[in-house]
Amino acid sequence: MSVDDTPQTEPPTEEISLTVNGETVSAEVEPRLKLSDFLRREQGLRGVRVGCEHGVCGACTVLVDGKGVKSCLMLAVQADGSEITTVEGLTGDGGALHPIQEAFHETHALQCGFCTSGFVVATKELLEENPDPDRDAIEHGLADNVCRCTGYQNIYEAVERAADYADEGSHGGGDG
Amino acid sequence: MSGSEAAPDAEPEAAPESESFTGQSVRRFEDRRILTGEAEYIHDKAPEGTLELALVRSVHAHAEIESIDTAKAEDHPDCELVLTAEDLKEHYNPQPCGLNGFEEWSLADGKVRFAGEPIAAVVARDRYAAEDVAELVNVRYDKLPPVAGASEARKDEVLVHEDEGTNVPDSEHLTFGDPGIAFEEADHVVEGEYSWGRVSGVPLETAGAVAEYDPEGDTFHIDCNIQLHTLVDDTVFETLGYDPDDVYINVPPDVGGSFGTKIAIHRYVNLVAMASHQLGGTPVKFVEDRVENLQGGDVHCSERDYRVRLAVDDDGTMRGLDVFFTDDFGAWPHYPINQVLKPLSVLTNSYHIDHAEYEYELVLTNKTAQTAYRGFGVDPHHYALEMVVDEAARELGMDPTEFRRQNLIDPDQMPYVLPSKNVYDSGDYPEALRRIEAMIEDERDGGLLDPEVVAEKRKEGKYRGTQPSVVIEPGVSGSDWTDRQRSDRDALADRTPDDADELPEHLRAEVAEDGTVRAYLATDSSGQGHQTLVAQLLADELGILPSDVAVDYLDSVDAPTEYGSAASRMAVMLSGAAEGVGEELRENLVELAADYWGVDPGDVSYRDGGVDRVDGDDRLELSDLADVDAVRLGESGTYAEFDYPHPARDVPEFDEAFARKYPVYPTAAYGANAPIVEVDVNTGEVDILEFYTVRDCGTMLNPMIVEGQAHGGIAQGIGAALMEEFAYDDNAQPTATTLFEYLLPSIKNVPDIEMDHTVTPSPFTETGAKGVGEGGMIDAPASVATAINAALDPLGVTADRLPFTPDRARRRLREAGVGPGTDGEGGDAVTDGGGSGRGSHDGRFDHADSAGGDRR
Repeated sequence: MSVDDTPQTEPPTEEISLTVNGETVSAEVEPRLKLSDFLRREQGLRGVRVGCEHGVCGACTVLVDGKGVKSCLMLAVQADGSEITTVEGLTGDGGALHPIQEAFHETHALQCGFCTSGFVVATKELLEENPDPDRDAIEHGLADNVCRCTGYQNIYEAVERAADYADEGSHGGGDG
Repeated sequence: MSGSEAAPDAEPEAAPESESFTGQSVRRFEDRRILTGEAEYIHDKAPEGTLELALVRSVHAHAEIESIDTAKAEDHPDCELVLTAEDLKEHYNPQPCGLNGFEEWSLADGKVRFAGEPIAAVVARDRYAAEDVAELVNVRYDKLPPVAGASEARKDEVLVHEDEGTNVPDSEHLTFGDPGIAFEEADHVVEGEYSWGRVSGVPLETAGAVAEYDPEGDTFHIDCNIQLHTLVDDTVFETLGYDPDDVYINVPPDVGGSFGTKIAIHRYVNLVAMASHQLGGTPVKFVEDRVENLQGGDVHCSERDYRVRLAVDDDGTMRGLDVFFTDDFGAWPHYPINQVLKPLSVLTNSYHIDHAEYEYELVLTNKTAQTAYRGFGVDPHHYALEMVVDEAARELGMDPTEFRRQNLIDPDQMPYVLPSKNVYDSGDYPEALRRIEAMIEDERDGGLLDPEVVAEKRKEGKYRGTQPSVVIEPGVSGSDWTDRQRSDRDALADRTPDDADELPEHLRAEVAEDGTVRAYLATDSSGQGHQTLVAQLLADELGILPSDVAVDYLDSVDAPTEYGSAASRMAVMLSGAAEGVGEELRENLVELAADYWGVDPGDVSYRDGGVDRVDGDDRLELSDLADVDAVRLGESGTYAEFDYPHPARDVPEFDEAFARKYPVYPTAAYGANAPIVEVDVNTGEVDILEFYTVRDCGTMLNPMIVEGQAHGGIAQGIGAALMEEFAYDDNAQPTATTLFEYLLPSIKNVPDIEMDHTVTPSPFTETGAKGVGEGGMIDAPASVATAINAALDPLGVTADRLPFTPDRARRRLREAGVGPGTDGEGGDAVTDGGGSGRGSHDGRFDHADSAGGDRR
């Protein structure tokens, strides 16, 4: 065992500038910093969950310029100049749940919740591409996200209900 | 009774009116913080100045450690600390093990016993830097031959632990009734060999811990996502060498799933605590990455090879059951190891069989250690048993469903004492079987199983089938039996039921200033919705709204030693505890009000969130009572706590099980499943077209949560049956170290689940509820396997090895002469089916060559 007290050297950094949930952000980051860690550690967006760090589980899914991206597979420097939306960006003023969040709550489409941010964000992308998805479309749209608790049954229902809310155009807060 | 549409439309804020909240699908209070990203999981915890730890792990499965050179690591400017076993041995203790006599240090001491075993820990400013430093630690190994499977390990040619002298440190052979006579006299003895691959819970959140040593108080403050933090905290404080009261273990309200697996994450908890201690109190954090979790996280579960015999008569009567299995526990018999005994709680499943033998061998190999996983050893037992039942039906030429029906335990026999002494509380198994058959009736007539459709599909090489059965989920484990393997077997003979020492469930409640109620759970949670459940239960007890109840958690010091959330316990234990604490609190509030008014307690009564004077003159709301209590001297009148005793203690039928330290599970929930499967004989792929299920867990406290548990359990059961496996190569190197190899069911793999319920309340519990947390995982694998048997029956192929992956299916089909290039016929060929078939009336198994000869 040893306790080391020699001074630390600073690692190399690069400057990036991007939009995160509507706000412009500039930061000096290590080139090797993952986008997931940048959002969680530097931006305090802990709704970005890290489940596998190799692009399978989808818990870290965020929207980069409107497209779902596994933020564990992207470096923060690669996101320079882009527009990022995380689950935090869906919640409306005064904490009003987005219709997708509301639908997940109402249909019990989450249990431990660790995959939930990723599913909510993936659902947002899905519904923007296809406002009225059938079960096959839901399967296709959410196939890159893993849930270990719900068996997906209620997630289908949540997506269908969120689609209905968007159709009604009157439910919930946020930008749905 | 509730159908599949029962779930989530109830409004949590509705006034109770005539009904209670308990029994309603109250939506969860946990959801908002999760959905908005505000929930604080362990990976979000980072006190000011936190450093991070990374581990150096063994690349070999079995090797002597010749040397560990840490000089370069220590020279790295970011290095704050390096720890090896040498340091640990100077200051701390080995970790408590599941069996006596094993000395395991949190870092490998002199020898590595599995690939991925931690050898050194380094600490730096963050994980990136810590991994840089870890790479500089140079370990020199002297490789030893590895033991990669139970059948090889049992030969004891290479020992995983030389001191032990054997790779089978625990085994037992139990006899119930007179199986010798049953097997001798029966018209037929049917025998089969079945294998269950190594699976685990693989929650989306890995293990993690943040520890801060307080030098002033000489205490540890640890946040971590360990499961059963009030029960297994000994794995931490004993290792650190501190009193339980000096090690505060706190589990965040939000844990990203556990399914039993996080019971055994003490290695990580210990290492961050030791690191913070060595650094004089700087907080140190470790969060396991996914590769660490899959490869060397100490969290795999059952890997079993079974040989099962069933004695049956010509008329279809099951007379005797004989079970032998080996379970590959990996390198260490970590606590818990009693998954090899839990199947005794459901030894004959839903069948009446008087005579049974049960024998297991707990085998050590060069793999990462086992821990608990949802079902805890019962899932493979049911699989093996249902497989041999199919085999017997074939031997007898009976319809497998009729054969099952004929042997079901009858409702008149409830409560039913198993040969192995556990008791089924209630249930109507024939009715469950009738219901599931009714559910699939339409599929047989114009649906997925219409004979014409089935025949058409077969021409394409797609074989369809289903097989209804009734499978029992033992619930609400007692704690006393769980250390049977650490007990002196001779002393067990003299025990009486009174010697059993059961742990209660603890719950506290207090009235806050604003008149709301705060409850404190002693258990931890990992997604089950305990906060919602307790809010529902206490709202009914106190005549208030669930939204007026806030539920928080106690740390390991504040909470008494108790069991907690595992083994399908909490529905029953929390409802008993809520009833008890509600009654205590009402009594205290009545006394408080009477004292305030200066009247006899008999002259006041508690009603709907307040206390009335019986004469109608006055009423104190909960907020008033809080004000009254605040200025009063003496004991608090707005606080109560309760320890709900284990419900089996009051039921004399359990006495024999208590006396012998056999598994005690006082509730028997059950599922009758009929998954409709389609096997593509050309590709070996198994597709589940629809999963029908009828479930009974007694009174449903929150039907929405009950159904959610079943959905998730079934999905995990499907994974275990068809996809998931921690395979190892001949060098004991793990071949599933990412989620590209350990395949979790995705939304594409889980079929529609069509669910119905029957409700047979438990006579043994306060609310009639039964434990329900492990259902699905316990029953679905057996159901999927037997449905595959039904589908492939014309070809003589069975799912004798799970997971029944496409390559295994193709292997079996090839052996049966079926495959690409044929037209899907070929059932004439005789399969060796993994050794199933006619057994012998006399001798049991030849263990030397049984179990696991061919695990392909």
